[in-house]
Amino acid sequence: MLGNDIVDLNLAKTQSNWRRKNYLGKIFTVEEQLLITSAEKPDEMVWLLWSMKESAYKIHNRKTGIRNFAPKSLNCTIYPNTDQVKGTVSIDKDTYFTKSKIQSKYIHTIATPIYSKLKEIKVSIYEVPNHPCDYKRTKPGSVSHHGQYLALVY
Amino acid sequence: MNKEEIIEALKTIIEPYSEELTALAHIDENTDFINDLKINSANLVDIVLDIEEKFNIEIDNDSMAKMLTIKATTEIIAQKLEAHAR
Repeated sequence: MLGNDIVDLNLAKTQSNWRRKNYLGKIFTVEEQLLITSAEKPDEMVWLLWSMKESAYKIHNRKTGIRNFAPKSLNCTIYPNTDQVKGTVSIDKDTYFTKSKIQSKYIHTIATPIYSKLKEIKVSIYEVPNHPCDYKRTKPGSVSHHGQYLALVY
Repeated sequence: MNKEEIIEALKTIIEPYSEELTALAHIDENTDFINDLKINSANLVDIVLDIEEKFNIEIDNDSMAKMLTIKATTEIIAQKLEAHAR
């Protein structure tokens, strides 16, 4: 099972004001909030953690059949690297492994329950107006759509 | 506040976060925030915060987890208002 999530950073800037009072506390654990407030680029950290949670949730939701909105129950840990950020997201007894790509215009995260699969996942990212309209026929393992971007993983 | 009044107040809160005009015009109990109104999940938090401010209640994490439809949200608001009034 695969999960993926893309955040269009331009759209995120206008769509969500994470500096709003009580906002971070509804989504992020105390440890995650500390990562954000101590980050050199707090905006980037907010959306990195968010995309990790979303991509892991997409797998967890399919696995358990539970649909809910409980971002704080997904606990992120990150292992920063040079160009790609690896991490884990745990919820209850399950752990998902993530790999994120941080670009100037978007942040994209892939997630899998099996660590060794991370390097096998194929990613296709399309920007408007180049979205393929028949992508469903290619049977992607997970689809994410935000702003200008469409991200598919196989 | 009865159920209809809560739903009316909810509509006003939700409107700025959805571009699905047809779905907005036909909001009922079964309307789903993500599937029908295509609300971005990061904006669900804004809706929860707006509800807290508007109704002067506190939404705990377990309640927030259920708030994906008008029905569930209306029930939670009604419960919290009732607990408040006691």
